[in-house]
Amino acid sequence: MRVLIVDLGSQWTHRIWRTLKYLEVDSEIISCKTPLDKIDADGLVLSGGAIRIGLGEIKELKEVSNYIDNFGKPILGICAGHQFIGMHFGGKAQPSQKPEYGKVELFIDHEDNLFRGLPKKFIVWASHNDEVVDVPGFKVLAHSRDCSNHAMKHEKKSIYGCIFHPEVEHTEHGDRIYANFLNVCKR
Amino acid sequence: MAFDARRFMEEAIPVIRKKVGGSKAICAVSGGVDSTVTAVLMSKALGKNCVAVFVDTGFMRKGEPESIRELAENINMNLHFVDARKKFYTALRGVKNPERKRKIIGNLFIRIFEKIAREEKATFLGQGTLAPDWIESGSGMRATIKSHHNVGGLPRGMKLKLVEPLRELYKDEVRKVAKELGLPDSICNRQPFPGPGLAIRMVGEVTPEKVEIVKEACVIVEEELESAAKRGEMELPWQYFAVLLPSRTVGVLGDARAYGYVIAVRAVYSVDGMTANYARIPDGVLETISNRITRELKQYVNRVVYDVTSKPPACIEWE
Repeated sequence: MRVLIVDLGSQWTHRIWRTLKYLEVDSEIISCKTPLDKIDADGLVLSGGAIRIGLGEIKELKEVSNYIDNFGKPILGICAGHQFIGMHFGGKAQPSQKPEYGKVELFIDHEDNLFRGLPKKFIVWASHNDEVVDVPGFKVLAHSRDCSNHAMKHEKKSIYGCIFHPEVEHTEHGDRIYANFLNVCKR
Repeated sequence: MAFDARRFMEEAIPVIRKKVGGSKAICAVSGGVDSTVTAVLMSKALGKNCVAVFVDTGFMRKGEPESIRELAENINMNLHFVDARKKFYTALRGVKNPERKRKIIGNLFIRIFEKIAREEKATFLGQGTLAPDWIESGSGMRATIKSHHNVGGLPRGMKLKLVEPLRELYKDEVRKVAKELGLPDSICNRQPFPGPGLAIRMVGEVTPEKVEIVKEACVIVEEELESAAKRGEMELPWQYFAVLLPSRTVGVLGDARAYGYVIAVRAVYSVDGMTANYARIPDGVLETISNRITRELKQYVNRVVYDVTSKPPACIEWE
């Protein structure tokens, strides 16, 4: 299986690569401007990044819109990647009233595939200035005290997002979340 | 599959050999685990065609320049020792901005390496660069968090070609390679220490006096936490040190007014340096640290604070 990581400029993009490598998946970090027809993969992970989706800084991400519409296989967006997916489908991306840095208590609302087999509540680490809410066609999978949409899934497609970072060491069950996403990619 | 240190080592050595070919290389060493592993890998690959270089910047931990000679002898490393303390102090005089400090230091390191490379007729420079170094130094869409001296601090137009076998690794993985190479525990488990050293452990301008203050404060933090860990009162943190703040505050010492500096104590648990949580130091240990710092450094410091921030939002180092 081959899952590529689309780099939106996160400090933790390389940690996603390490996590996938530890899960024995063929993986590579690619630029977010890579043309879709050059991508041969079973799934994509959109990394986080310093770009402020909530302030509309999306001009670098035109090709990523194309991935979301036309890649046709599973996609998981992390942080900025999650926000961009939400915005792409008509959700409201905005600066968070209460941004979260570091430790956050996560509450699972719907286990779905992404959180399969995990506790209803666990610790994750986040680092976000913006968030996305009211995303049409998406189901919210998890929330925290200060962020109502911490994870989401498209009602019909295998498109997922989480605003926290399952790839960092301090997030509990992070590798299980990626393993669950890889299971979705396998189908 | 978790990280396989033996496989990494077996793959890295021929890559270095192929890259350097019949040329000669110098390898920057600091006494820490990253650069020592790099030097050993390069020595295995290149034999006598690799010379390790240690630069004493004046910003090393107490006793570090002495222990590097001992280490070099222990692991049979061909070591070139450079005393550049004056050069570093001079270059940093009057500089307060932390990014400027880091870049000046990175630049000066390279100038010194270039000179030695010329003498040794070497064209390659080995560095113990890890993933967080180039990640945090920024590039393209990835923001610069801080310029690591060995990446973001490199001068433009530098001629030495880099050999960085650990570029894709994090600290926990490097420690596994160090063990696989049979390096002593004191190296394998050595806490991280930044290349710019104590120069970035004082907020603002670097002076010889401030270096001495923060060096002693770091020793106290190290001694007390290591001893508390040995007594089983806490797990030894991943990294632990003191930072000298530029602000002064009022105090009272023996009925007289004091107006001295503040020392911040930092101790974190981490695995890879990319996220970290502050260590829950037992109260009694914090108290001993505070008492020792304010007594042993009483001419300079009359207040000690403890940093309770995780990364993110704060970095582990203060500059």
